[in-house]
Amino acid sequence: MNGIQIVLISGVVIIFSYYVSRFRNALLDLVALILFAGLGIFFILFPEYTNKIAKWLGVGRGADLLFYICILFFLFIILKLFSRIRRLEDKMTELIRQQAKDKAREMNDSKDKE
Amino acid sequence: MVFTFIPFMSPQINPQDVFVIIPAYNEQEVIAKVIYELVPMQYKLVVVDDGSAEELDERLQQFPIFLLRHRVNLGQGAALQTGIEFALSKQAAYIVTFDADGQHLPSDIEKLLAPLAANKADITLGTRFSGGISNIPAGRKWVLKTARFINYFFAGLLLSDAHNGLRAMTRPAASAIHIRQNGMAHATEIVAEIRKNKLRYAEVPVSIRYTDYSRKKGQTLWGSFRIFFDILLNKIFK
Repeated sequence: MNGIQIVLISGVVIIFSYYVSRFRNALLDLVALILFAGLGIFFILFPEYTNKIAKWLGVGRGADLLFYICILFFLFIILKLFSRIRRLEDKMTELIRQQAKDKAREMNDSKDKE
Repeated sequence: MVFTFIPFMSPQINPQDVFVIIPAYNEQEVIAKVIYELVPMQYKLVVVDDGSAEELDERLQQFPIFLLRHRVNLGQGAALQTGIEFALSKQAAYIVTFDADGQHLPSDIEKLLAPLAANKADITLGTRFSGGISNIPAGRKWVLKTARFINYFFAGLLLSDAHNGLRAMTRPAASAIHIRQNGMAHATEIVAEIRKNKLRYAEVPVSIRYTDYSRKKGQTLWGSFRIFFDILLNKIFK
């Protein structure tokens, strides 16, 4: 095992344990995470397999294949985050709007009441 | 679809049934003047302060208006929707949107209401390009001409003026339209809602006062691009 493998594997293990500590109740997530982390560690230990898959898919090197997959993955994350921000904005708008309507004041009229 | 209305055919509208929504964001310099011009028209006025830095209470306390305030700035689209919902809750029969920067003429509101009262349209949109007095700066004109086709592409209606803030709608139309675009892209969204809800619409020539102030506050070219991207994103993430 060389240096970079130790760094990468400990990274995967740390991230994995962080997620597990947070998503304890969702079983399906846990299975997916274990699979994902296991796959990650496997390819870190035996990088030549990524080359094989890459060749099979028509890409030159395993590292390139990983790069392409990463781009797709991050685009997906951006879309997910964007729709989540959108939902948050909708909720915030609803709250502020409700408050504005509740606190609406009739000017020039309130003076007589006071 | 543009038609000219005939004044004597339109039934009288009680101005107290008309709610004029004025979204205002940092318009403290001119808002009092705009309200001052509107008060004699006898309409119900709803100012929606969209989280301006300066609260408008003192400047506007002399006027008979409803004042609503967003605690934080959400955008003009959000302010309009807040005003519309408030007006509907106050049993408004007609709802007018009116910019706070003084570019519209209060006397134009009547023209917009006429087709509604005559039951010839559910919503009327002000246009500065068909006949009305217009001293439009050349650059602004091109931006608006382009915006027109962007509107057509995204909303499906080719209107002569894409982003005119002066509109009037009936109660059923106002209830059907829901503005989700908090920012400036709401203008396109309203057009899309007209089409979606199959509302009858008409364009009415109105005048725009291009004062130094309204020019300064108006859209820059960069602002137009931002609106375009808002529309684009909204189309993707419905």
